[in-house]
Amino acid sequence: MAAQGTSLKSYLLTRLALVIPMVFILLTMVFLLMRVAPGDPISASLGGRVPQAEVDKIRHRLGYDKPLIVQYREYLWDTARLDFGTTITDRRPVTEIIKVNGAATLELTIAAMFVAITVGVFFGLVAGRYRDTAADAGSRLFGIVIYAMPVFFLGYLAQLFFGSYLGILPTSDRASPLTEALLTPHTNLFLIDTLINKNWAAFWDVFRHLILPATTLGLVISGIFIRLVRVNVIRTLKDDYIEAARARGISERSVVYNHAFRNALVPVITIVGLQMALLLSGAVLTETTFNWPGIGHQLIFYLDNRDYAAVQGIIVVFALVVVFISLLIDLASAFIDPRIRY
Amino acid sequence: MNREGKWRLAALLAFVLVVVAAIGAGAARSAMTHKAAGGIIVDGTTDSVTNIDPAGNYDFGSATADALIFQHLLEAGPGGLTPHPVLATKCGFKGNLKTFSCTLRKGVKFHNGKAFTAADVVWSFDRVVRIKDPSGIYTLLSNLKSVKAKGKYGVVFNLKAPQATWPQILTTGAAQIVPKGVYPLKRVKGNTTKQIGTGPYTLSKYSPGQQAVFKKFKGYWGKPAKNDGVIIRYYTKSSTMKLALTRKDIDMAFRDFTPTELISLGKTKGIVVHKGKGATIRYLVLNLKMSPTDKLAVRKAIAYLVPRQTIANRVYHGLVKPLYSMVAAGLPGHIDAFKTVYGASPNQAKARAALVAAGISRPVNITLWYTPTHYGDSSADEFAEIQRAMQAGGLFKVTLKSAEWAQYSDALGKQYGAFQLGWFPDYVDGENYLLPFYDAKSNFTSNNYNSAKMNSLLTKEQATRVTAKRLALMRSAQTLAAKDAPIIPYWQGAMIAVSRNNVKNIPKTLDPTFIMRFWLISK
Repeated sequence: MAAQGTSLKSYLLTRLALVIPMVFILLTMVFLLMRVAPGDPISASLGGRVPQAEVDKIRHRLGYDKPLIVQYREYLWDTARLDFGTTITDRRPVTEIIKVNGAATLELTIAAMFVAITVGVFFGLVAGRYRDTAADAGSRLFGIVIYAMPVFFLGYLAQLFFGSYLGILPTSDRASPLTEALLTPHTNLFLIDTLINKNWAAFWDVFRHLILPATTLGLVISGIFIRLVRVNVIRTLKDDYIEAARARGISERSVVYNHAFRNALVPVITIVGLQMALLLSGAVLTETTFNWPGIGHQLIFYLDNRDYAAVQGIIVVFALVVVFISLLIDLASAFIDPRIRY
Repeated sequence: MNREGKWRLAALLAFVLVVVAAIGAGAARSAMTHKAAGGIIVDGTTDSVTNIDPAGNYDFGSATADALIFQHLLEAGPGGLTPHPVLATKCGFKGNLKTFSCTLRKGVKFHNGKAFTAADVVWSFDRVVRIKDPSGIYTLLSNLKSVKAKGKYGVVFNLKAPQATWPQILTTGAAQIVPKGVYPLKRVKGNTTKQIGTGPYTLSKYSPGQQAVFKKFKGYWGKPAKNDGVIIRYYTKSSTMKLALTRKDIDMAFRDFTPTELISLGKTKGIVVHKGKGATIRYLVLNLKMSPTDKLAVRKAIAYLVPRQTIANRVYHGLVKPLYSMVAAGLPGHIDAFKTVYGASPNQAKARAALVAAGISRPVNITLWYTPTHYGDSSADEFAEIQRAMQAGGLFKVTLKSAEWAQYSDALGKQYGAFQLGWFPDYVDGENYLLPFYDAKSNFTSNNYNSAKMNSLLTKEQATRVTAKRLALMRSAQTLAAKDAPIIPYWQGAMIAVSRNNVKNIPKTLDPTFIMRFWLISK
């Protein structure tokens, strides 16, 4: 045990130490890619309205004509001081974008993961339990089709059917205009804020607005979980301890749900964590389709405007989020499954 | 089924019932909430806001929001184009066209209760010039030498050069008045900080990229707004906005639907498409230092072939009109210069004759650039029509290329020989359609057009006090512009807003100033 504890500790320290070069490489890549792409924030905002001489003056004043190495040094120095700066386009502190738009993405991500896990685990379990039956074939087909479907296409279908044809669900935004106007933000997670404000009408309004985007995104991701859970359930059902449980006379239902199923879920936790980390960096297509003001939606806006500060700042923060989440997943896996050795 | 299974099934059914109840209850509550707020106009737009501070923006989305909060000494419209006093009571030139003075309105209060005085005017102009924001708004005041207070209710503007259109400059975003000391002198005020103006609304909440909420200002000095407030909701895609409008999530939408969406909305029950006179234009810029557009004969041939009516009908379904001059039709001084020189419709024979006379071999290879990300997906259709017309008689071999805006705007005159641009005016005067395109000092198109005769015409125009003479000079400039053809205008757009049929008075605010005066609208 002592040896295992030491190896876990050294693994953890190594992973933490690797964060620094990982982030440094990412920072450099983002810096170079933004500058290699044609255009810059000044011409993007001024082009087509102001003489070129004036554009050049502004570019010079803001330092965008400085040698790349000088700009790079200044950028690294600011990042090292955790000064992610202010966007060029609309003067927003990058930390505010993370806080406000990041919260919108977090809310969507959590709701989508709930749908993905519920649907994915259910169909995966059915497919694994009733292998090579119609239920298995149906679940697998559903998983493949839903995963292959572009999320924006599914989103449009959902908007047209539930929003336009049936008229029972809102098709865009986080809340209706008045609800959003009257809501006092505390956490920027609207569902929680409405509960804090004790505004039940607002809560239902926000909940209704969350249904379509979360279900759309969640269904697409559920395709991954269906296949993963199915494979793990089938594999687990072949294990010796399952045979032993059957031999002891335990009902098939209990064998599947109480013994096999829980163990089959362990690898799923890793994938859930990784998917969440990826989604937190912005479910761009879903957010655009549903006009959801998340981080992906904002990133597209800043990319279109070549807003170096915004793009660099947002990507750095989310790189750190992804790195730490994957670290947490590794630790969680190690604690949950004692067979995992480092 | 065992007991555990029954409990699980019951829990699942209860969950489904809760969700269904939420959908139904939420729908009913949402309807009540929206109905209860009958006096609030909810507007959708695909524009975005960069900065609300007037010293920090030069884009349409920000200007639309600013119009609700801030005011000017002089304003144009609704309906008429001549600037009339708003925060001023009287203005005029003194002596030559380099000194302009205004008497200010008394009894006006800012949203924070502070009285409006000359010191605020001086502060507002000084900070725009000092801040020199990267948006470029300060360039509108490039002719301002100084602004001084004359007592508590008088201001004097001293200009560097004579400028008859200085009153029009005072109607632009660069001239909106903010309270002294509240707005920093050397930097732009943040969007989420409190915005203070003298306008009919206060900005009660701003969520970047989501919505801006405006409440009627009870202490407003002028005629109160016809509604209790406005919410402007920001959309990335016009299709989502269209869905919101048909679902009654929003009451109206101003900027910007595609032509196809507008046609569809026009046929939708309960929706009205309002069209008013507009002043936005679209044009093709030709680079005078790149082959083949460096040759006058090639430029003339293109001018003979542009299919304006076809573009207006086929691409825009009649929502735009053919344009025959860079000066928008309907503005004083406008003439259909291109129609006079090149005819109303494409003329292959004359285009061919122009090329033959110059000894230019056919077909002429040319690349035309456009940018759908800035000017919409219809740009592709627009240019497909231009390509078709230019290639029809074998006179040109046209390659079409597109780029996204950030790349496109950086490359304009450096890499592109012929490219698409659009324009909406800073102020509604023919001069604002001439100087930025033909004056060597102000030309932003980077097409290298520099005509001594044109420069002289425009300098005289700016310094001419008598309107008739000024308009005559503008007409001469348009004729010369058509003959030199460095730029070929092809359509002029209307000011369009779409609303539910219970929204009133939108047509009153549709005019070439392109300002959506929400305070006139009710439902």
